[in-house]
Amino acid sequence: MAEIEARGVRFHYQRLGSGQEKVVFLHGFVWDNLSSWYFSVASSVAAKAQVLLYDLRGHGKSERPATGYTLDDMVADLDAMLDATGFGDRPVHLVGNSFGGLLALAYAIAHPERVASMVLVDAHTADETWNEDIRSTLESQGHERDHMIIQAFNEWAGRHNDPRNTRLAKAAEQLIKETSLLEEITRSRIFTDRELARITCPVLAMYGEHSDIRHKGERLAARLPDCTLQIITGGSHVILWEATATLRERVQSWVAEHASPAVEAQTSGD
Amino acid sequence: MSTTLETVSRLIIEVMSNDPLEPITAETSFGDDLELESIELVALAEKVQAEYGDKVNFADWLSQKELDELIHLKVGELVELIDSCLAAESDA
Repeated sequence: MAEIEARGVRFHYQRLGSGQEKVVFLHGFVWDNLSSWYFSVASSVAAKAQVLLYDLRGHGKSERPATGYTLDDMVADLDAMLDATGFGDRPVHLVGNSFGGLLALAYAIAHPERVASMVLVDAHTADETWNEDIRSTLESQGHERDHMIIQAFNEWAGRHNDPRNTRLAKAAEQLIKETSLLEEITRSRIFTDRELARITCPVLAMYGEHSDIRHKGERLAARLPDCTLQIITGGSHVILWEATATLRERVQSWVAEHASPAVEAQTSGD
Repeated sequence: MSTTLETVSRLIIEVMSNDPLEPITAETSFGDDLELESIELVALAEKVQAEYGDKVNFADWLSQKELDELIHLKVGELVELIDSCLAAESDA
């Protein structure tokens, strides 16, 4: 299995495709892993670009350390992954779903020179209520929790398939109980206007018409220097599954339209 | 020498966290029978790549399928894919 060590943590990753552009896909928190992007959009994008997917720490087949789950840690993990795999030798396009979009934003604030563009798919953002939002999401139990799992994996989790739901639910429970993810993530700060202004790369923000975080997407899009907002008619939070074909096409065309500028020798702050 | 089905069965068992309850046949469905999680299917794609090299691009083939097809995918379909890629190789 493709694994690499970064910041002392073993990460599962997949590298696909070939081409000039480099695209990194970021999955959501707790109930998600790289397979959601792998089977929806990433493999198609890999027809024309180099693609990197990895399981965030604690998720999928990556190692699950007990601590290190602050947003700053996740940003540092992504930075280290780009170095360890060599994938970040030029600016990359980040594509993030849900909380993966939040990670993309945080990364672009911290390392704007490494980001060529971003696609945010019904992305969360670090606004005034997000600490509470994330806590209530991650503490979901029973039916609500099952709903979250189904959201992450659509039919894959299987409406009629309790054993698999149970396995995914169990993994999620272990992640919450055995690590500091909940405590650390909810301690994170809010993105200031000045920070958002640092994200000068082109951003495409796609939100479901009926998503419960659509208003956050609209506000975010207004605050970013170069953001195109696209509302998916009839969509909810899980446009990844509801509008997969649209997303495939849009991400492919976006990447083609926003090809990286040629990289001159850079003194990367050393 | 193993048949393709035997090789694929071995690879499947390697990626699964629990052993399958029944023997794997061509009719066994990845989703319905084996309850493979999507992340395990990713791991399987990688093992197929390692086993057969560039002769079989399972990942590519998977990426062209709709999600509904993936859920009901049968082991026999993967065996057929491998066999036809290997046959094409030896004909070339």
